[in-house]
Amino acid sequence: MRKLLASLSALGLISVSSTTGVATAQGQEQVTMALAMPLSGAWARIGEVSRAAAECAVADINAAGGIEALGGAKVNLVVADVGGSPESAKNAAERLLAEHPDISGGVGAYVSSFTLPVTEVTERAGIPWLTLSYSDRITGRGYKHVFMTSPTSVQQAEDALPTILALAKQATGGKPDTVGIVMDNTPSPVGFTEGMRDGGLEKYGLDLVVDQVFTPPLSVAGPIVQQVRSARPDFLLFLPTATPDIKLILEQLTQFGLTRERLPLINNGGPMGTPDLLNVVGEHLLEGAMFITANWGLKGQEDFTEHWKECTGLPWVTQDISTYGHFWLLKEAMEMAKSADPEAVTQALHDMKLTEGPARFFPGGTVSFADNGRRENASIVIAQWQAGVPVTVFPPESAVAEPIWTGQ
Amino acid sequence: MSDRRKIGRPLAVILAIAAVWFAMSFVIENAYYALLLTIIPIWATFAISWNIFSGYSGLISFGHAAFFGLGAYTIALTSLHFDLTPWFGLPLAAIVGVVAGAVIGYPTFRLSGLYFALAMLAYPLSMVYVFEWLGYQEIILPMRPENPLWYMQFGSYHGYLAIALALLVLSVLLSLMIERSRFGLSLLAIKQNELAAEASGVDTFRWKMRALVLSGALAATAGGLYAVVVFVLTPGSVFGVIISAQAIILSLFGGAGIVWGPLIGAATLLPLSETLHAELGSVLPGIQGLLYGVAIMLVILLAPEGIYWRVRDLLKRRRGEAGAASAEPRGVAGPVGAKPSAPRPQPGETLLSVRSLSKTYGGLKAVSDVSFDVREGEILGIIGPNGAGKTTLFNMLNGIVVPDAGEIRFEGRDIAGLKPNRVCRLGIGRTFQVVRAFQRMGVLENVAVGAYVHADSEEQAWALAKEAVAMVGLADSKDTLASTLTSKELRLMELARALASRPRLVLLDEPLAGLGSTETEELMSMVATLPAHGITVIIIEHTIGAMVDLADRFVVLDHGRFLTQGAPRDVTRDPRVIEAYLGQRWAAKHA
Repeated sequence: MRKLLASLSALGLISVSSTTGVATAQGQEQVTMALAMPLSGAWARIGEVSRAAAECAVADINAAGGIEALGGAKVNLVVADVGGSPESAKNAAERLLAEHPDISGGVGAYVSSFTLPVTEVTERAGIPWLTLSYSDRITGRGYKHVFMTSPTSVQQAEDALPTILALAKQATGGKPDTVGIVMDNTPSPVGFTEGMRDGGLEKYGLDLVVDQVFTPPLSVAGPIVQQVRSARPDFLLFLPTATPDIKLILEQLTQFGLTRERLPLINNGGPMGTPDLLNVVGEHLLEGAMFITANWGLKGQEDFTEHWKECTGLPWVTQDISTYGHFWLLKEAMEMAKSADPEAVTQALHDMKLTEGPARFFPGGTVSFADNGRRENASIVIAQWQAGVPVTVFPPESAVAEPIWTGQ
Repeated sequence: MSDRRKIGRPLAVILAIAAVWFAMSFVIENAYYALLLTIIPIWATFAISWNIFSGYSGLISFGHAAFFGLGAYTIALTSLHFDLTPWFGLPLAAIVGVVAGAVIGYPTFRLSGLYFALAMLAYPLSMVYVFEWLGYQEIILPMRPENPLWYMQFGSYHGYLAIALALLVLSVLLSLMIERSRFGLSLLAIKQNELAAEASGVDTFRWKMRALVLSGALAATAGGLYAVVVFVLTPGSVFGVIISAQAIILSLFGGAGIVWGPLIGAATLLPLSETLHAELGSVLPGIQGLLYGVAIMLVILLAPEGIYWRVRDLLKRRRGEAGAASAEPRGVAGPVGAKPSAPRPQPGETLLSVRSLSKTYGGLKAVSDVSFDVREGEILGIIGPNGAGKTTLFNMLNGIVVPDAGEIRFEGRDIAGLKPNRVCRLGIGRTFQVVRAFQRMGVLENVAVGAYVHADSEEQAWALAKEAVAMVGLADSKDTLASTLTSKELRLMELARALASRPRLVLLDEPLAGLGSTETEELMSMVATLPAHGITVIIIEHTIGAMVDLADRFVVLDHGRFLTQGAPRDVTRDPRVIEAYLGQRWAAKHA
């Protein structure tokens, strides 16, 4: 009993000290923006990269004079670790808001299972929140303060096939007839292929000739690759999510003579283009592999790319350019609202119709949000590993290089 | 003893804690701490559910996440597909937990020890795959803005906290009731010596099953409430190894086998881990896990049985030192009763009849074609050299070993192949060659385990136990821990445990092993009084000397076969017996 009280009063003390600590550090010429990311647990590495992008964005905003409409107020970035489960994400969000009652807006939390509880908390508190997560559920709950800049997962899946076919046509002049799927049974690929299996492939005249679903981690890739080799699809939807599985299958494919020049291979999601993957899997195995993503280094950002490398320490522009852009959108909203009040910032985001400025950090080059918080005209891009660097190859208006699709 | 069994005071304590806890959520105007205050009782309930099964019974479950996750998914799926409110969903989750407990327990109780623990680990792990395969990789509880209260969607955490505390108080109440009843005593007996519990009339399978079913229900309800509060589920977040580990860590940290253990664990470790996360998580991500691990390791090193037991032992020692001077000397009362030559009732009807009993282990015929009768009121000695098959015979008589062939009739009824607890209930008690005591229990509690067999109420059971303890002359040390008894006292205690079940027949397996000559005499004179109480005795010994005066009749076994039977003095002169014990040469010389 006494122990219970002691530990709780200790908690109470910590809460008091930390809130007052922030309050005194808080000047008048400062606005607070939050980043909630997994900084521990299985997604920690991804969170670190996002954090680098966020710190870079805040530094750039402050270097450019802060929030002009608020007298050049500097942006103060607060970071929360959402850990590795929905429970820890919810805890982190509550803690973030409790410790920093002055947050004007926030960004995160990458994994949709974490973004959901985080946005539930921020929605109740009326804080505008931007995310690159793309689960439809996030913006399907009737929230007013959540903004999603990526196409939703349903839309990504719907757009994937026509986009791939358009890319193939551009590169080869013809149309593929057969497709193979190799995937694990985690949420992302399952959701991605659901519509394709339910008539989507048929609609585009594609014949599914090999379909291999496995539960990660994979111990041997031989049988799967054997199936792919004997079926010889025109291209392969290659959707494992765990790095070891990606490496294992790519190695096996190469051993069986199915290099990317002979079998076009398309993954879904930004993790396929991370510098970490290059370190683990190697340039040789990745060469030619393509992936669909909500954002990547885009045409017309050449000047920015050099700055990005220097500022974030990353070797190329990744999908975290969205995270970077989200902070600029928050800044833009504050400029429009001439206020750091969360409700005013939210309203400004709803009213926003950007075609320049930070809009250039998003494919399509425009930023405006529908009532449910989804970015209008959000579209996917396809990037491809070329000479050890993943570059955007499609659509042509965003591409910085020509796609390579040789086929058999 | 009786005041320790009352439930009122501890219940008042937990109600007071719950009230203060609830009040605290109003004092702290901070949603984060309100959330913490809500989550902690949920995890505490889950840890208590683990303790109800594993803490009391000693069968370690690495798989309690199976129940937790099933409860969580019950809430999520019924809410998603059938618009069912959690008000009904939570009781439904409890039912799912009950069913899961039965389905998991039935096959898994065939295993014991480490094998049981590892098998339990498999259930939640396989559920992760099942739920992924079903397409429930990520599932969220739908929002019900039209009718939030009906769907348990409160604007603040007070509502959730009230439910979480109600659930916690309920699980503490259940724990207290278990701890203070035959249920808990039976589980404790199973924990310390499952075979002895079974031989004392405890239906171990049934008690374990009840515990798992109850534990499953609580764990599933906790999981369901967790789903309501967190509202986003992935198979990994409710079935993951870390979830099962949470229950184990909280319980072991606080102290397993007592309701306060999981409570202490939850109230200490969860705030600690959150605080570490809050203070260090954004500075040195991951460091919180490391420090948390170090804290747990320190406790394991400094208080291996958990904080509760460590503190209790320390307090006891301090109190013991203070009270040492006034400590009353322990009674030296020998067994009351007659000498071996005491008058005995004339042997009556045949009580036990054994016909052609056989048991083979591989090529070894441990017992082969043995037949004999035991009459009511008799003391029968079964003698024979080492390896003659005496203990195997006993194990068949009380059901530990199933005979390959033959018949055992007790009061005319065939009992071959019945489980030990059934045999005990029919009226056959036994002691073991190596005393199987419940070490961490007092003498009276040890004996009480056996007393429930024919008791109608708790009170009667404890009265029977007291009677049996007095009968063997241990009344003065009834509260002494079994682990501190002398070997004679242990033998007497085990005898009392057998007697407390009010047997018609007791089987004593080498009760004299390890005793000196005076102790032997004391024990023998105790045994000699049993027929006068209407108890027939079969006794195994290979030291014949002490038995000659005690037994009415000897049955001699050699190499698993029946050799001869008859009055002790005749049998000991039989050359075949002498040969069996001492070899051919000796027999020839003294023929």
